[in-house]
Formats: sequence, structure tokens, C-alpha cells
Amino acid sequence: MELKQLRPTLSLSDLKKNETGQVVYSLAQGTLKHKLISMGFVPGIQIKMVRNAPLRDPIEIAIQNSLVTLRRTEAGLIVVEKL
Amino acid sequence: MNKVALAGQPNCGKSTIFNLLAGVNQHVANYPGVTVDKKSATLTYAAESIELVDLPGTYSFSTFSLEERVAKAFILDEQPDVIVNVVDASNLRRHLYLTFQLLELGRPLVLVLNMMDVAERRGLEIDCDKLSDLFNVRVVKAIGAKRQGKDDILRAVHDAAQTKIVEPFRVDYDRLEPYISQIEEQLSAPDHLTSRWLALKVLEGDDVIVERVGISRETVRDVSREIHSRHDVDVDQMIAGLRYSAADLAYHKCVKEQRQQGETLTAKIDRIVLNQWTAFPILGLVIYLVYQLAIVQGYKLTDYTWPLLAAVRNRFFSLLPQTEFVDVPLLTEFGIWMANSVLALLNYIPIFFILFVLIAILEDVGYMPRMAFILDRIFRKFGLHGQSTLPLVLGGAFVGGCAVPGIMATKGIADERARLATILTVPYMNCLAKVPFYTLLLGAFFKEQMALMMFFISTVTLFIALILARLLTSSVLRSRETAPFVMELPTYHLPTISGVWLRAFQRLWIYIKKVVTIVVAVAVVLFVLLQYPGVAKDKMAEFRSQADTALAEFRLVVEGTPYFSSLDQPEKIYRLLNLNDAYRADRMLAASADAVVLLDQKYLEMEPELFAIIAAADQDARRINRALRNLSNAGRRLQLDMKNEKITNSYLGTFGRVLEPVTRYAGFDWRINVAFLSSFAARESAVATLGSIYEKGATDATPAEVMAEDGAYTPVHAASMILFMILTPPCIATMVVVKLQSGSYKWMLFAIFFPVFTGVVLSALFFSAAVQLGWSGVDLMRNFYMGVAALALLLGFVKNKQSGWYVGKTH
Repeated sequence: MELKQLRPTLSLSDLKKNETGQVVYSLAQGTLKHKLISMGFVPGIQIKMVRNAPLRDPIEIAIQNSLVTLRRTEAGLIVVEKL
Repeated sequence: MNKVALAGQPNCGKSTIFNLLAGVNQHVANYPGVTVDKKSATLTYAAESIELVDLPGTYSFSTFSLEERVAKAFILDEQPDVIVNVVDASNLRRHLYLTFQLLELGRPLVLVLNMMDVAERRGLEIDCDKLSDLFNVRVVKAIGAKRQGKDDILRAVHDAAQTKIVEPFRVDYDRLEPYISQIEEQLSAPDHLTSRWLALKVLEGDDVIVERVGISRETVRDVSREIHSRHDVDVDQMIAGLRYSAADLAYHKCVKEQRQQGETLTAKIDRIVLNQWTAFPILGLVIYLVYQLAIVQGYKLTDYTWPLLAAVRNRFFSLLPQTEFVDVPLLTEFGIWMANSVLALLNYIPIFFILFVLIAILEDVGYMPRMAFILDRIFRKFGLHGQSTLPLVLGGAFVGGCAVPGIMATKGIADERARLATILTVPYMNCLAKVPFYTLLLGAFFKEQMALMMFFISTVTLFIALILARLLTSSVLRSRETAPFVMELPTYHLPTISGVWLRAFQRLWIYIKKVVTIVVAVAVVLFVLLQYPGVAKDKMAEFRSQADTALAEFRLVVEGTPYFSSLDQPEKIYRLLNLNDAYRADRMLAASADAVVLLDQKYLEMEPELFAIIAAADQDARRINRALRNLSNAGRRLQLDMKNEKITNSYLGTFGRVLEPVTRYAGFDWRINVAFLSSFAARESAVATLGSIYEKGATDATPAEVMAEDGAYTPVHAASMILFMILTPPCIATMVVVKLQSGSYKWMLFAIFFPVFTGVVLSALFFSAAVQLGWSGVDLMRNFYMGVAALALLLGFVKNKQSGWYVGKTH
């Protein structure tokens, strides 16, 4: 537990291109929470920031062999640890 | 009969499996009360009939999306005997998430590993036997796109239907177990579902299930509160997390990844297609190609299909009672009206078909969500969605399109608010059928500034649509359900020809069925409104005496010629007139000199005596032919006058006059009102009605010239009319599709009356301003354009308060 605290957490939208992370928890509620769960955003899952859209928003995330796109406002609710 | 449900996550290739099993023998309808497609088919295997239903693609069975609610309701209410779970074998771990939920249902299950070829290419070795043992289900390999696996799936379904599950599959939910059993004891489960699955759903706070199993909401709330305080976990995330780790475990047991995966083809393509610099040019190219192929080339194709339709129509006309000089039988008039109304729509079938094919290809390839990815940021500012791009383009965001396929393409937009906003804004795009109307007015009043005016017309519409979308989504649509943008960017796939064909035909058929029936109904109403109460008696007598005079003149020429004997009765003259018209109509369609010879032959055999006159065979015949032409012209002029008189007198004409006090401010007199009213049937009618009201009979001048010379209207009037036409309500076909896709008559009525209202108000405003300030027609148009563009840009910069999501609280 102690060790875990040492790792800095940040929100998914702050990851830079090609950086990987691990989902810690999500702050989303209701529909968004369930949508994110069904896309695989559950605690412990590894993700990789693939790219920004040409206009910087939304972003593309690689998760469990698939590619998922979400808006920055949505990604902002997912807390990740940088790996 | 066995009821079989086909379930799977989006992008698992479920529809190719469905097509593989069902073939052409499938039926598309809607699930009751919603606009989600329900595909079903009845087939036979081993002398047993199977009813196969394709459930919407879902990731889970929560209550948060329409598709999930529909899929869940089907499983709850229809109690399928076997569930066929299609999974993407190349992406097994993710797709097993749904498999676990289906297994927990406790129904016999067949697991179909689809896209085995892709999995093999990626070096994945899947141990089917192990998978089958692990889950105690039948596992079948398939490649839907290559039509492989049909028999295996059907055999497995057949076998599965014979089995009875004594002890259902269970996932260990760790610390939640005591609570699951606690709820299980309290609920009353129907026979076909396991109490454990229901208890899990209750724990997840699924209202639909809670209501069904007779547990009070208070109990549920208490339990989840207890879990929260004791274990400090979020129930949903925990359940999902455990399912994912179970899937992970199963994956590692059954799948060997032979080699380290290099960069996939999809990743390679995406590096170009979604690249910061090349994404927009490629998107532009795709949109341009769709537009060019469907709208431009499709429109050219109608040049070839139109003669076929016209030939059928002419054949139909020949069956109607014959016209007697100026007296057109009511039945004939009705038949002509109906045939023309329906044909106006059928004429666009080539365009629609090409469009539907291209849309199906784009869907199958996987480009649609990528389009949304690229453009979402711009559209979101106006309350739309990245996926609104294609509907707007099809609707005519460039020079011309059609709202019908545009609105039909909104189906894929997940966000309900953005979807409705798109449905309501697509009709503002440039409808192809409006183009003749614009060219008529521009030709008459703006010959010199035609290009500039056309530029204003074709680009102002996008601004109007954006403004409207923004206004709607921040007012009436404000409380509408929005969906997270979160979506999968699927692996690129080559579309299958049969799949694309089938989908395009299905959509085309739905269009024909729904649209044409409604158009027929409305056309009947319009016919009555234009036909009755009819021409006054004294007016009619006047027309009749004119007709008699013309006939008498003709008879004078005929008397004394050898042809007199075949023209001594009025009926015979009518016959000659009709024969002449029929010949001319056929002659127009005859493409080559040979065809003309054949045509002459046919008519000669049919009516040897009368055809001699039409062909002007000798001196006398030539004279009669000349007189016949005069008579025919006189008749046509009289028919036209009578028609005008009828329209003037008709209910619709009266209505047009009633509106005049209001529309006067926009510069519209009753005649223009009637033209606009009748344009509701199909936009083409506006030109036709204006044309017939203005036609002065004998002159060869085009309606445009006549209008310009008429003097009643100035370019300012014309600009005001164009402004109204830009904003004018969609045609009936579009209305029907708005109703179909929005699922409500309320929105259909809104889509009719709101544009009319804004159209009248804005054209009145700008017309009055133009009159007061002495603007020219071009000034009016330019000022309107600048006003609209400025407003759109302003709204784009004003921050949209509803971002859709707010940051939640931590506990």
C-alpha cells in the first residue's frame, strides 16, 4: 500500500502520446461509468495513449487489444498511474 | 420450434454470421416502440425449425443504452432456448466479458469464434476443446466474411437445444458472495433465469430487474450502502473487474500467442488516416467521393432510368379514359397526378441505392467512428456529434443532396440529443430538387450574378444548420439523453459484397415501402385540395364556347377533303387529337432513326387513316395537320386556363389567398403561396406550379422569361422567395423519415412548422428592410448571408455550458 502511494497518479487526459499507464479508479457516474466499464476501464487494467485527434480532442487509447476513443472531459475522470 | 438469440459485442462480426445463417430469407422490423432494427429469420435444420433473432450489439446488459435495454428485454421476455454468442477470435479477451454475463444467465449457449482467419494471421492459437471444457459450452470456429462455419453452428445450436443446464456457470465474486446469496434468498425468480444472475443485476442497481423480482428499492440501497461502508469498493467496478480478470484467466489458459505481435495493419493505416496532417485531406477525399459517386453520378444515372419509368407511366396513361378535347375525365386527371407524384420519388432510386451501398461499405470498413474522431471537436461546439458529418453531407452540405438518405444515416449516432439535432438540421441542407427552383428564379432575375447567388445559397445552409443545432440542443433538446463519446475504433475490415448488397437493398426497400405509401396518401389529399370546388358554371360555359369555336374552325378546314369521312364526328376528332399527342410522346422517347421507323409502322397499322394526317402524307393531309396543330394548341391553352381557374378557385388557392395578408410582408402573393404549399408534396412541384400559373399558353418563352416580363415581381421579391425556399420545410418523403428516425410525430410537426415560421419571419424581415432601405436583390441575399455566418461563428465561440459531463465527487 505504501509503495503504491509513492507512484504519482494523474488523469488519463494528461498522458502524453505513447505513454502507458494503469487504471487506478474512475470518478465517472451513471452512463459514462458503465460505458467506461464495458470498454474495459476497470482498476488494474493497462492502457496506452495512442494519439490525439487532429484537433487535439478527442483522444485515442489502446486498451486490451482494442482502440477506444474518448473526449478529454471524459478521460479526465479516469485516474491512472504512469508506468 | 427453437428460439435462438444471436448476441455479441459491437464489431464482433455478428451481422456477417447472421447473414451467413439466414441468407436472403430475413426480415427486418423494429423492436416494439423503439427505432432499433430487429432482424430475424426462420430456418430449418435437421427437420427442426429455428427462429433466429439478431440482438443489438451490446457490451453488457445494464440499462444505460437503448441497445442494452432492448437486448435485455428480449432475453427476459422471449426466453430464447439457445443463445449464440459471437466473439471476435482475434480479440478474445475483451469479448469474453460479455460471454461471462451470458453464461451466468443459465441458458444453453453456443460460443462462435468468428474471424478465425484474422486470429491466425495474428499468430493466436486458440484451444477450442479447453475453452469448451472450461465453460461447458459448445465452441464453434467460423469465418463469417468467407461464409465458413454455417453447418457447425447450426449443429451446435441443434445439440445445445437438447441439453438442460442443471447447474449454471458461476464466477466467484469474492467479498460480494454473502450479499449475492442474501439477495438471492429474497427474490422470486422466474423459471428460465437463474436467481444468481438476477441477484447480480439487483446488486448492480438494475431498476428493470429490481422491479421484476419483487425486491424493494430500500433493500437494495441498504445492501449497497453496507458494502460501501464495510469494504470501500464500488460494486459495479468490482463486479466488472472480477469478470475481466476471469476473462483474462480463461484467455491465458486457452490461447497461445505464438509470436510477439508487431504493428497491426490497422495501426499502420491509422497512422496515416488519423494523422494530424493527413486526416483532413483524406476525410475530404472520402466525403467528396461519396458525394461525387452517389449524388452526381447517381443523378446522371437517372437520365437512363427515367425513360424506363416514363415508358411505364405512359403505358399506364394509355389505360386511363381518353380526353375529349378540353374535357379531361376526373379519373384521368387523378391518375396522371398520382403517377407523377410517385414517379418524382422513384426517380431518385439510383441515387439512394448508390448511397446506401457506399454507407454500408463505410460502415463495414470501420471508417465511420474514425470520421467522428476527426471532426468531433468542431461539431460538439454546436451540440452535434462527430458522426453528424455523413448525414449532413448526404443531405446536401455541398451543392445538392437529399435529406432522406441523410436522415437515414443518423441511425448510428449514439448520442440521442445530437442524433435528434442532426435529424432536424439535415432537412436544411441543399435538396437537389430545390435546384430547378433556384435556377428558375436566378435565370429570371439574377442572370449576371448567378454564380455569386448560387454560392450564397449553397454555403449559407451549413451555417443555418449549425445555428439551429446549437439553439435546439440548448433549448428543447436540452434535457435529452446524451451518450458518452466513448467508442471503439474497430479493426479495419474488407466489406463483403453480399453483406453490402443485402443491407443496401433492405434499406432501399424500407424507403420505398414507407415513403411511397405516405406520399400516395398525401398526394390524394393535395389532389382534392387543388381540384375542388372546381370552376364556376358561367366561367365553364365561356371556356366551352371557346372550345366549340376552335372545333368549328378545324371542321371548316376538313370539309371537302377526302379525310372528311373519318372526321365527321366530334369523337373522331378527339381520337385524332389523342393519337397525335400519343405519337408525339412516343416520338420523344424514340432514340434512333430505326426506332422512329418502327414507331411509324406501329401507328400506321393501328390507325391507317388518321395516321396519314399525322404523318402529313399528301397535300390535304398537310393542311389538316396544320389545322390540327392549331386546334391542339388551342386545346392545350384552354386546358391550362381551366386548370389555373381551378387552382385559383380551389381550397388550396383560397388558403393561399388567406395567407396573403401575412406573406405580403415577405413579398409573396397568393400565387407564390400556392406554389410553396404544393411544393410540400415534392419540391419539384414548386417549379411546376409556378410554371403552370405563369404559362401564358402559346408563347415559346420559358417560365423564367415570362416571370421576368410579367413585371409583378422584382429581384427583391425573387431574393425573398429564395430566402424562404432555403428555410422552407422538407418534402413529405423527408417528413416520413423524420418520423421514422425520431420515432415521434411531434418532431415531424416541429420539422414542418418551425422552418415555415422562421422562413416567413426572416423573409418578411429582410424583404421589408430591403424595401425600406432600397437594397437590391443581391444586397438582400448578401446581408442575409453575412448575418447568418456571423451568428454561427459567434455561437461557435461562445462556450457551450453543457460539456455533457461534470467531474464527480470522491468519497
